[in-house]
This record gives sequence, structure tokens and C-alpha cells, in this order.
Amino acid sequence: MKRVLHSRRAALAAFAATAAVARGMDASDQIVIPGKRSMIVHNDRPDDLETPIAHLNQWLTPVDCFFVRQHLPRPTVSEAGFELKLTGRVEKEMNVTLAQLRQLPQYTVPAVLECTGNGRAFFSPRVPGVQWGRGAMGNAEWTGPRLSDVLKLAGADLNTAYVTANGADMGLAKTPDFIRSLPMKKSLDPATLLALKMNGEPLPSLHGFPLRLIVPGWDGTSWVKWVNYLSVDQTPNTGFYMNPGYRFPKHPGAPGAPVNPSDLAVIEDMPVQSFITGHTDGAKVPVAALTLKGVAWAGESRVAQVEVSRDAGLTWQTAQLTGKDLPFTWRLWALAWRPPQPGYYTVLSRATDIRGRTQPLVPTWNPSGYLFNAVDRIGLSVEAGS
Amino acid sequence: MRRRALVTTLLLSAGFGASAADDKSEAGKKALEQSCQLCHSLRLVESQRLSAAAWQKEVDKMIGWGTVVQDRQILVDYLSQHYSNTMPPAAPVMSANSE
Repeated sequence: MKRVLHSRRAALAAFAATAAVARGMDASDQIVIPGKRSMIVHNDRPDDLETPIAHLNQWLTPVDCFFVRQHLPRPTVSEAGFELKLTGRVEKEMNVTLAQLRQLPQYTVPAVLECTGNGRAFFSPRVPGVQWGRGAMGNAEWTGPRLSDVLKLAGADLNTAYVTANGADMGLAKTPDFIRSLPMKKSLDPATLLALKMNGEPLPSLHGFPLRLIVPGWDGTSWVKWVNYLSVDQTPNTGFYMNPGYRFPKHPGAPGAPVNPSDLAVIEDMPVQSFITGHTDGAKVPVAALTLKGVAWAGESRVAQVEVSRDAGLTWQTAQLTGKDLPFTWRLWALAWRPPQPGYYTVLSRATDIRGRTQPLVPTWNPSGYLFNAVDRIGLSVEAGS
Repeated sequence: MRRRALVTTLLLSAGFGASAADDKSEAGKKALEQSCQLCHSLRLVESQRLSAAAWQKEVDKMIGWGTVVQDRQILVDYLSQHYSNTMPPAAPVMSANSE
């Protein structure tokens, strides 16, 4: 088994090296990502693709412009050869096929998926990592069996603390494997799924074909792709992506200052946030009636209110919440406005959730640039009509 | 005459200095291409803007993850110089529509 792994790694490494050379020769050509419209490319091998903000100005984000985050080279998984291994504290270990997963009751859960590092580029001082702007997020309808129903197939001990998920992707060289442990309580939530479909289509390879963990309200890191291994364990996985990766300071510290690892905690639920999606920063608009639009969401909580300022925060108006009001998804918001005269306007949006959490004016700096949720801000140039 | 000699010396030393810097930069670029592309595209590197200390930390992390770096300092210096936190953010790169 180990030898197979090694030779596969070697093959992957050889492939990556060839790909690198080929890419270098074609440096002047524009990158094309099969299945995707024009995206902001932060990394084209493996693909880390950001959704241009204009595509987020709607309730469901189409698959062909949904953001992609990959830590490791994308695995090729064949439908026929796929098996999901269930192990750990189970009555009987088993390998589940796609046909078996499709026979279980299927549920559809709309939910926002947001990369833990969305907005990383807005932190100052800058931090290493994919330099995401606003578009490492999207809202989709995910369909598949409940994780709890899959665990029950193997007679999992549901009093165990964690479910550890691993996908078919593997790190090159000594890069750690991407493995995450989900607390049992969240694993048994009826909205936590193993999705086979995204917006009604089979999951594309970029989004985890054939099976992806759906953890509504939690950070994107929890949503493991290409899942082929679940283990019911009393303790969480101790690999890089659980510790020190994807942890957030328990208390705010000085921007740029190192944080003691013992002062970091695993990220789970997401904070409240809003983005202005109807206009891009720096857009030019005529002096005429317009509608400011955006999205707001609050992880496991619900959005209570969105306020918008057209004067850099001197005054705030309450926006209208529109569209569907469902847990784990975003609300759309809108505010009609007629700019009084030509000029430059700083427009801000700020959401508050039903727990009373709101967005800070300044992002909470942290060494890895996670959980950006400061008040969103764009500038609009209002120009006199011709 | 003396003045001319001095000017020549200055020009020569400036020339040598620039060429040494060019050589170092060339070595740094080579190190980047050799050490970083096995696992990811260079775009991931080129889109960062980090301090020298932060680059050092990143390079060490990647060495820990198995990349082979011939001369760590040359690579760190190159990254710190070309992708420094004092520089403006990298311009976004857009892919083309696949349809």
C-alpha cells in the first residue's frame, strides 16, 4: 500500500514538473479553465479562482463562475472506481459506493460557501496566502444524503466526538494531506450533507466530484472535497490543516505581531458580513436614480439588518432585505438612491445579525488573514450627464 | 586626466555593481523557477506582497514541505526584492471564458 502511494506521488510530481514546463512556454497565452467563465486567477495550478463581484449580485451563484480553492493537486476520481470508506468507531467497517449513496434519502440545502481567507488582500500588514478579494464565496444548492444517514450505514457510535474526513487529493513531496475533523454535533445536524450535486448538476471535478462535505454556516475549510474516507474518532486529526492551519486568535492582537499557537482556536461558525455587489469599486455612474445592491450573511445565524452609508459613515440608512430568507444562505439587500450631485461618494455596507453581532469598521488582523468581515467599502464616481 | 580616471573607476564599479546585482537577480529568478513550481504556479508567489521576514518564513515552510532550495538566502532576497510589502498589489490576472 505504501509503495503504491509513493509511486503515485512520484507520478504526480513528474506530471506537475511537465505541466510547469509546458505552462512556462505558453506564458503569454491567457489561461482557460474548462467549465469556468472568466475568473480572477490567483493560482492556476492547482486552481484558486475568484468570482468577479458582478456574478455575486444574485441569490444563486452559477457553477460556471463559482469560486474554487484547492490546496493540493486535483485528483481524478472515476465514478466506477469510487468508494467511500467508513471506519473508526463503527459497528462494521465498510466501503460505500455511489449507488448506495444515491439510494439514501436525498436532501437539498441552499448554503453559502465562503473561503476562510476571503478578503485576505484587505488586511494590513499583508499576510501570506491566496490574496482573495471579495469573491471567494458563493451561494449554491447542495444535494445529497445527510452525513448522519451515511454514518448510520456503518453503525457509527454517534456519541463519539469527531468525524474525520479525507479526500482523494494528496500533497506533493512532504506537503501535508488535507484532512479535517468535524465535531459530531455538527456532523449530525440535518443540514450537514455529503453532496453529490451542486445547483442540480453532478458536482464538477473542481468542486469535489463525486462527493463533497457540506457544512452550512461553517468556513469553507470544513467543506472537504473528493471525500473518500470518513473515520469516527474520539480525538480530532492533528495534521497541519487542523493545527496550526485554519485557526484564529482567541483575543485580538496588535497587527503584525506573532500569535502564540496556544492562543489560537479552530475556526467553526462564520461571522456576520456584507458585500456591495451591484457596483464595483471605482465605478462611474451618471447623476440619476440608482439602486445600491449587495449580499449579507451570518454563518449559522441569520441577518437581521443591513445599513448602508453613502457618505463614508457619517449617516446610515437601512437597506431593504430582498429575496429568499433561509438559514445558511445570504440575503440580498437593496437601497434606492439618487446621488444629489456629481462627485465622489464612499459607500459602505454593514450587516447585523439576530444575535446582535455586527461588522467592525476595521478588520480583526490575524496572522493568516482569516474571517475578514469589516464593513464593506466602495467608491462611486457620480458624473454629470452629457 | 586624474578626473577622467576617477570617473572611469566610478563607472566601472557601478557597472560591476549592477552586473553583480543582475547575476544575483538571475540566480534568484532561477531559484524561484526551480524550487516553487513543482507544487503550484508562480502566480501564487507573484501575487504576494510580503516583508523579508515573512518571505523567509514562507520559504522555510516550503522547505519543510519538501521543496529543495539550493541557496535559501538568494531565493529569500529575490522574493523580498521583487514581491515586497512596500510595492503596490499585483494587478489581477483574469482567465478567458471557457465557453
